[in-house]
Amino acid sequence: MTGTKSKRPGPADPVEAKKCADWIVSVATTRDREAFAQLFAHFAPRVKAYMFRFGGNAETAEELAQEAMMQVWRKAHLFDPSKAAASTWIFTVARNLRIDRFRQRKHIEVDDSDPTLIVDEDPLADEVVGRDQEAVLVKAAMEELPADQKVVVELSFFEDCSHSEIAERLNIPLGTVKSRLRLALGKLRGGLEGVA
Amino acid sequence: MNIKHHPTDQTLMDYASGSLSQAMELLVATHMTLCPHCRNKVSGFETMGGAVLENTDSMSMSDHSLDHVMAMLEREATNENIVTETLPTMRRIAVGESITGSTMASLPRPLAELLPEDVTSLDDIPWKSLAPGVKQFQLKSIESKGTVRLLKIAPGISIPDHGHHGHEMTLLIKGSYIDEIGRFRAGDVADLDDDVDHQPIADTAEECICLIATDAPMKFNRLLPKLLQPFFGI
Repeated sequence: MTGTKSKRPGPADPVEAKKCADWIVSVATTRDREAFAQLFAHFAPRVKAYMFRFGGNAETAEELAQEAMMQVWRKAHLFDPSKAAASTWIFTVARNLRIDRFRQRKHIEVDDSDPTLIVDEDPLADEVVGRDQEAVLVKAAMEELPADQKVVVELSFFEDCSHSEIAERLNIPLGTVKSRLRLALGKLRGGLEGVA
Repeated sequence: MNIKHHPTDQTLMDYASGSLSQAMELLVATHMTLCPHCRNKVSGFETMGGAVLENTDSMSMSDHSLDHVMAMLEREATNENIVTETLPTMRRIAVGESITGSTMASLPRPLAELLPEDVTSLDDIPWKSLAPGVKQFQLKSIESKGTVRLLKIAPGISIPDHGHHGHEMTLLIKGSYIDEIGRFRAGDVADLDDDVDHQPIADTAEECICLIATDAPMKFNRLLPKLLQPFFGI
């Protein structure tokens, strides 16, 4: 099973997305190997593709995908399903590992136990839609984006591209990159607000 | 804290995707500690990152990679080597009272961590004079791409009208300043593109302390002696 090509589509509905979240929770609470195997089958090939975009080397990408999944195992107890969907959380694990390895530093983050942290006075606004459902909506909205907007979003997340580098890469003016991103963000956000 | 000015969506998206320079990332994480609004937005952008991950063409893993990973994890478990993320104790660096009333009691962790160990309040910072009325402290151990510094600006002093080569962000720590864009108080961020010229002026009777991050070095030393002058003396 491990060697087969994983071309399974991602979670198409909140139930599938919730399954991924439940697997992480099972790994955290009972060190559930079957759940981990499911997570591995779904996410490792995707994380490998992500790492490949940055490293350009299949061997390094494989090694980093394995390392990312080991971190999923080790850090599973830090996953909070009320704060993030499984795909969101695993993306941040992969991102942080990528910065650690390719840029030799830590991604600087907010510490939730920081006494200077100012908490949201109105946290309810965002909880109308569950995290899993939210992730599915964003994913669906992403698929709906026109190709020219989609590529700008993908380059933003999947390559170490500044906006001016994206402009160079696509041979379009910087202003066009910015306006496409603005349009894309508007649609992705609009998709969410339509439901909430 | 009543934050009115935030990093742009594109900056927050770059923070979420992990493509900001370390200098910018430090400033954004410091602001986010104070700003639930931006934390929410960044979660949204991370959700987009997750969606791109879901939608991407996957690359098949090599044979037995799961077995390999499981074996390694097993070895760890027998060594009782499970990672617990215990951060070192938070350092408290006092900011002090501000006459504008809007201030933070101490510096958020991302910034506090990068200051020298003997610093316990903003007054302990080994400021270096940059020009009359302007002192700076350059933060170290930052990626070579970009710079990050604290500036302390005396009341009524104006920073020269300067354009930016690349991206510049300013986070107000204490006091306030005013420029073409508006009035900035503690927690506010001015997120400026290379095409913006601005001339901030420390506009109250107290000094203004801010954190400035750039992707390209600013040519302050050359500009300041020529252009810097007390606002009210013009």
